Amino acid sequence: MLPLDLFVNGLIIGLYYALMAVGLTMIFGILKVVNFAHGEFYMIGAYTYTLVSLALGVPPWLALPVAAASGALLGWATERFLMRPLYAGYGSWALMKDEYAVVVTFGLSLLLINLVDKIVGPYPMRGPSLSEVTRMAIGPFMASGQKLITAGVAIVLLIGLALFIKRSLWGRQVQAVAQNRLGASIAGIDTARASSIIFMASGVLAALAGALLAPVINPGPDVGVFPAVKSYVIVVIGGMGSIPGSVVAALALGVLESFGAVYISYDYRDTFGLVLLILVLLFRPQGLFGERAREV
Amino acid sequence: MKSLFRLAVAASATAFAVASYAADPIVIGVSIAQSPPGSVVQGTQVKDGVEIVVKMLNDKGGVLGRQLKVVYEDNQGIPEKGRAATEKLITRDKVVAVTGGHQSSVCLAEIEVAHRYKTPYVNTNCWSDDIRKKGYAEVFNPGNYNTRVSSAMAETIAALKVRNVIAFAENTDYGIGQAKLLGEFLQKTAPQTQYKYVALDRAGKDFTPAVLPLRASPPDLVVNIMLPPAAYILMNQLYEQGVAPSAKTAFYDGAGIADYPDFWQNVKEAGKHMLAFGLYHPAMPMPALGKQVGEIYQKQSGNEPNRLIFQAADSVLLIARAIEQAKSTDGAAIVKALQGIDFEGVRGKFSFAQEAGYKYQQWVEIPYVTYQLTEVNQPVSKTTLIQVPGKPLLIDKVIKPAK
Repeated sequence: MLPLDLFVNGLIIGLYYALMAVGLTMIFGILKVVNFAHGEFYMIGAYTYTLVSLALGVPPWLALPVAAASGALLGWATERFLMRPLYAGYGSWALMKDEYAVVVTFGLSLLLINLVDKIVGPYPMRGPSLSEVTRMAIGPFMASGQKLITAGVAIVLLIGLALFIKRSLWGRQVQAVAQNRLGASIAGIDTARASSIIFMASGVLAALAGALLAPVINPGPDVGVFPAVKSYVIVVIGGMGSIPGSVVAALALGVLESFGAVYISYDYRDTFGLVLLILVLLFRPQGLFGERAREV
Repeated sequence: MKSLFRLAVAASATAFAVASYAADPIVIGVSIAQSPPGSVVQGTQVKDGVEIVVKMLNDKGGVLGRQLKVVYEDNQGIPEKGRAATEKLITRDKVVAVTGGHQSSVCLAEIEVAHRYKTPYVNTNCWSDDIRKKGYAEVFNPGNYNTRVSSAMAETIAALKVRNVIAFAENTDYGIGQAKLLGEFLQKTAPQTQYKYVALDRAGKDFTPAVLPLRASPPDLVVNIMLPPAAYILMNQLYEQGVAPSAKTAFYDGAGIADYPDFWQNVKEAGKHMLAFGLYHPAMPMPALGKQVGEIYQKQSGNEPNRLIFQAADSVLLIARAIEQAKSTDGAAIVKALQGIDFEGVRGKFSFAQEAGYKYQQWVEIPYVTYQLTEVNQPVSKTTLIQVPGKPLLIDKVIKPAK
């Protein structure tokens, strides 16, 4: 039953990837910038959850919303104080400096890693588990209760996000801003608020991913680097700005890595995604679900 | 009268200059990982050990009447950064010796710089045999080495009489080197044992695909040759999948992670029943100076001391003793003194072998123990000793989980 084991494990890993990648692709969809500090949103969520729970004695289930709030706050602050200069005068949208976004988010990433390293310490800290079940068998499949809870929460969050974007007023405003910032503004939509919402949602997703995985990955200050790199790969494979694309790409990558590690070689596990990335860029540069862009 | 005044001024100036020179501290360079992706846990412990012994020496008047001063450089566990850090320590900070190295890939880069400048380099905790095999006269190794661990592990594995062994090794000079050596030793000591190793990314967070195949055909023993945090994640995933430690499969740590201060917080149940190779155990015989260092560390940190504290302390002590013996801070004189030194440090008495190969300028008979963790949150002092230094293994003492 190894193939089934690998498939289920790959899907679970894919769900973790999806939580991270969706936030990243949303920011790209709206602002057309890549947030290099996205991995650190994840790290802050993991640390907030762990510290609130272990140091303050808050039950883990209550520490989760606190971690989500920390992600929202960080997302809001990043957008409000670092990103807003990009589109303060939206008329100059076309003149937006990509370099600014790269430098400022990269700087934020380094700042957060080093702040946590100095303030909290360099030691990895395993977060408290949401389930006391350290291992359980479901048919041939075996996992910890924490892993299954994480997978379940990830599914709920991704469905909730899709409904929010499709059905809610704010979600529609976000879609409008993603399509045409200037047009949305003329139609009376507060584009700055839409950007804030997206950054906060992205922060919440990443922070919750970090919090949910804190008992599994033993977070340290640099814990966000690895998932952030995966997320960039997933976002490009899925199509930059496409939420369904990111989810599908994340699940596919999780399963591909799981099988490839066993049937090809574990040594090349991280290269499977990169090979897929190259193939996508060669044969479908807009990504699996992306749309061809045309500029005049 | 005027000339007498001038003479007095000149004499005062000379006396002041001499006094200033005498008061100039002796500077030692310490290159460690103080930020990721290096092992900051190890770097912090090395720093703690260095600080304790430097304070002890300075409180007793320093070395040759001069205080010791330490300049730290953060190498982030990256070889290129280590190379730059060593270059800076030697050329800008004018250190008399460099020490602190605790990650083999970094040490391998740093010793090239030390060799070029003929500056003494005391390797605190880099295990790769390749460091010794370079044969650099400036490099001294009072810490552990891969051959020592591999032969000890092979001896334990042979005594356990296991048939199938799989090792998980980090993809570094240390990890791969250790895993290969273990295979070579097993061929000699336990030729009936089937052995293979799997290299894992030390930055990895999910090792489940490497663990899952073991569920179908579990080995008798899983060996860890990885450092935290990856080692902790691997242990948790082995436990979660029911692979090890279990009634069928024992788990043996060859990386010396059981005495890390964050060990239990990160592994919990997954660490129970683990067999461990260790370079320090409170039951080991230790000189009075070592006990004093251990007590100071425990008082300061609230944790039991571990091997890195003592290895770091010995590294600095070696440099200090060599300077005293050479009566000079000249690099060549320190190297010469270290080559002939009969040293009594915090871990015992030793001198450096001069035989070429992995023994070159190495404390060859470095003591080690084998012990088993039998309870969650168990301090090292309460663990079951399976082997004390220089004695046979007491395999009958090993406990297996019920399931």
